Amino acid sequence: MDVLRQHAEDEFKEELEELQKQDKGIRPDNWQLSPIAVVDYLMGKKLTNGKVISPKYIGKRRLMEIAVATLTTDRALLLYGIPGTGKSWVSEHLTAAITGNSKLLIQGTSGIGEEAIRYGWNYAKLLVDGPSRDALVETPLMQAMKNGKIARIEELTRISADVQDNLITILSEKLLPIPELNTEVQAISGFNVIATANNRDKGVNELSSALKRRFNTVILPTPDSAEEEINIVKSRVEKMMERNKLPAEKPPLKEIQRIVTIFRELRSGVTEDGRTKIKSPTGTLSSAEAIGVVNNGLALAAHFGDGRLSSMDIASGLIGAIVKDPIHDKEVWDDYLESIVKTRREWKDLYRSCKEVSQ
Amino acid sequence: MSVHILGIRHHGVGSAEMVKSYLKELKPDIILVEGPPEISDQLQLIGHKDLQPPVALIVYDESNLERTSFYPFAEYSPEWVACQYAGAASIPIRAMDLPAAITFNIEDKVEKEKSEGDQPEIYRGDPISYLADIAGYPSGEAWWDDQFELVEFRDAQEHFEGVGLAMKTLREEGIASGLDQENVYREAYMRQLIRTAQNEMYGTIAVICGAWHGPELVDLEQKAKEDAKLLKSLPKSKIKIKCSWIPWTNNRLSRTSGYGAGISSPGWYEHRWSTSEDLEISWLSKVATLFRAQEVDISTAHVLESYRLAHSLAVLRDHTIISYTDLHDAIRTVMCNGDDILFELIKKHLLVNDRIGNLPSDIPKVPLQQDFEDQAKSMRLKLSAMPKIYSLDLRKPLDLKRSIFFHRLNILEIDWAIRKTVRKKGSFKEGWELTWNPKMQILLIDKSSYGTTVEFATQGLIEQTLSNEKSISAFVKLINLCIPAQLFKAMDSVLLKINQIASISNDTIDIMRSLPKLINISRYGDVRKTDVDQIDKIVLRLFNKVSTSLANACYGLDEDNSNEVFLLIGELDRSLKLLEDQDIANRWIRTLEEIVAKEGIHMVIKGCTIRLLFDQNQLQDDELSTLLSYHLSPMNEAKDVAFWVEGFLRGSGLILIYDNRIWNLIYEWVASVNSEQFVDLLPVLRRAFSNFPSGERKQIGQKASRGLVQLESTNVVLASSTIDHEKGMTILPYIQKFLNGNHA
Repeated sequence: MDVLRQHAEDEFKEELEELQKQDKGIRPDNWQLSPIAVVDYLMGKKLTNGKVISPKYIGKRRLMEIAVATLTTDRALLLYGIPGTGKSWVSEHLTAAITGNSKLLIQGTSGIGEEAIRYGWNYAKLLVDGPSRDALVETPLMQAMKNGKIARIEELTRISADVQDNLITILSEKLLPIPELNTEVQAISGFNVIATANNRDKGVNELSSALKRRFNTVILPTPDSAEEEINIVKSRVEKMMERNKLPAEKPPLKEIQRIVTIFRELRSGVTEDGRTKIKSPTGTLSSAEAIGVVNNGLALAAHFGDGRLSSMDIASGLIGAIVKDPIHDKEVWDDYLESIVKTRREWKDLYRSCKEVSQ
Repeated sequence: MSVHILGIRHHGVGSAEMVKSYLKELKPDIILVEGPPEISDQLQLIGHKDLQPPVALIVYDESNLERTSFYPFAEYSPEWVACQYAGAASIPIRAMDLPAAITFNIEDKVEKEKSEGDQPEIYRGDPISYLADIAGYPSGEAWWDDQFELVEFRDAQEHFEGVGLAMKTLREEGIASGLDQENVYREAYMRQLIRTAQNEMYGTIAVICGAWHGPELVDLEQKAKEDAKLLKSLPKSKIKIKCSWIPWTNNRLSRTSGYGAGISSPGWYEHRWSTSEDLEISWLSKVATLFRAQEVDISTAHVLESYRLAHSLAVLRDHTIISYTDLHDAIRTVMCNGDDILFELIKKHLLVNDRIGNLPSDIPKVPLQQDFEDQAKSMRLKLSAMPKIYSLDLRKPLDLKRSIFFHRLNILEIDWAIRKTVRKKGSFKEGWELTWNPKMQILLIDKSSYGTTVEFATQGLIEQTLSNEKSISAFVKLINLCIPAQLFKAMDSVLLKINQIASISNDTIDIMRSLPKLINISRYGDVRKTDVDQIDKIVLRLFNKVSTSLANACYGLDEDNSNEVFLLIGELDRSLKLLEDQDIANRWIRTLEEIVAKEGIHMVIKGCTIRLLFDQNQLQDDELSTLLSYHLSPMNEAKDVAFWVEGFLRGSGLILIYDNRIWNLIYEWVASVNSEQFVDLLPVLRRAFSNFPSGERKQIGQKASRGLVQLESTNVVLASSTIDHEKGMTILPYIQKFLNGNHA
């Protein structure tokens, strides 16, 4: 049976093998590719033999260079950004390209304890034999240290502060002591950590400055150009429609453009023509949310409307995505509605629908 | 006899270093640097100890000050270095390029063609990006940096041969530069000037010019005839060119100017020029020191890690040595946690610091001074230290001109003329007192970088202020400055800026302060029709803003702020009426209703809002009395009620005199307050009542002595019952008399 989603190193196996063959750069210890080849894998490239490496990250090459260069030093990498900017995606592909193994993953939640970072015990064995190497349960991080691989930690800032602290020694001393067995695990070269964190959520555990100092931070921004973002939204929405078998027409490009424009303008605080500044709401307004608005509108159109996406179907989802804070965001949205949406002639229908929905 | 071409990049530190060492080796007996020949004399001044960069040469057409170009110099400009060498070695230095007199003529022509053809502008460094593309660099700039600017320990002669070769290849391949048309003339003239130097029997001639020109400055003999013919074809120019030194700033160095090349980070260039060892580490520690001074924790480990990351990046990017981008990517990632906000600090304090150049005191006049003196003369104003008072009648052309002139000088902060109040009434009178102080000359020089005439400089200054200001009220103040100074261009910029900032401004109160002023300008100001339209649009936007956010902005304000908002609401209400726009009026009413409905708003504001609604007939009688009795009911905090009353009365007691229901409610409330509370309330009540005209206060007092008014009798009845008919009759004969008298 097909798995729903394959690991990056399996899905792009051919590309990785091809790059390895062509790669003439110097590889750091335990790396499968040279740093330049890793950047090429992420950004996409046409190889000399005509094979095409597809781009995994669409954005600035500079950022990927910094990320890869960081991993060649002994500092860990922290990918930071608002939800929906591809942090986990980049982290997965980085590890797949560098070590060929993106599976050493710790999912950060507020519930995990230090045994998820350091090591745990098999209690049955522990009770029978007492503490022994055999009774020790290794974490992905410990395995990465032993084998010179890269461990991934997702949502680092959701992990509670005292558990985060365990990382400090590991990252600076490259050492994991096991006092129960009077021994330790020393990381071999090639070991490193890529963490991802979200800078918009409320109630996250801010990193201590001691831990922050052990990470180099790369902030992944929202898409640069409107076309890029429209393409992302369009392709994802169409995929979703296929999967959910929605009985609706494909959303008109015009409608997607309009939503992306609204999102981009509110996010950046300036109209696309650069002539008028506007205030930004508190929400993140990522591309992922724009996709959500279209999907939601399509579902409304399919099940409750005539199957054609109308401005009325969009309005409620749009307001829901933008107005997260009933006071501040409402003001921002009302202002935007009155001074921008209202003035665009071809947006009259949207203006009316939004007015209707908010009453 | 030999000619040596030193191809450089303007303001390139590496180029400057190479020029310095090559000149030492070459020992030329004359140096030619790129620049219009008119500046040759001024170049001799380089080396004067009081002439400290950043400075610029301003070259201008004496008869048309709009035709200006600037030639900025930093201490690391190759041209500057060459001039310094020439000064020290006592050899002649000359500028070599097409004379500005001719360039200005050509520019005029080009401008005309541009406006007709609307061609896209091509960047001067364009041809180099051709090489950059092949080598895989993002821009020509980056390629040049890596090839020619950042290389250490290179033999200077080899360096310039390399530069020459690269440029020669490009030109032979026919890669176009956007300025080729102009360059043909320029290079012909350059060759001409080199030949002149040869004819004067100079043995070793060093030519310092933008690298692109290098390959064309050879084969002098062969091209002599052709050049002569070409140059003859140029239109003769009778423009009188003047030039002079002015202080420049790093901020301006970072912009594109006369040389066509702006530099992005003068601070870094300065650092490179003045540091010979451990360039990167000392820069990192400079950055760290800056951060520490700004209370950002940066440890030595941060510096170390930044350096290592920069190093890795340089390797990854295949740079020969760590470049500026590597270093700054590393700083951003390690020290700033990827954050651009912290990085802005570096930009502000280190990359573009606020350095300003210095001039010797005996420097010739700058155009701004000249323009100032010309204008003063033409308006028959004397520069005298004795105060003299002018009373201007703005209906007379000369006086109007003077007034505009004085207003402009005031904006430039040259307080030669100080505004005095005039006794005579009428808006066409203005009084000014003029006192001249020699220090003002220095102020003029200081302001010369803003523009060549008083008008341009004022404009420039306003635009500069504009970029630093954020609050709408500050912009409105600028508009008020622009109007009497008749600065229409600057006004356009201000309006554009307000428009941009209108909706991100958080400060509802600030907008409230500005709106009435703007409405006033739009209705009564001395402005052009187009500006009125613009202002009206802005007023609408700002009003949108106020109407959506006012209720929230009023929430939880303390007493002082509430008192201000209370006054502002009243003022805005008055101004909005001037607009005579029904839609706005309706929305304003809705906004007021929102305030009334919202909890947590100070009573003085509530009172005032209710009163405004009442005045605009938005409250039914019974609604009002419900509201009144609710707010005056004894369960309320006595102080709140007093504030409410103050807000409600809004500085006039007439309503108390004529509306008995309100009178009774207030009368009852005062009666219900015990004596201790009453003493507490006195200050607030006093404030509420003290501004009333004394007649009103007297009437209120008399009415109070009569106590509660019987409500059964309505106002009208009450009014008629108090009229003393007998007394009224007595006046009739007199009226009769007046009327008859008139007819007679």
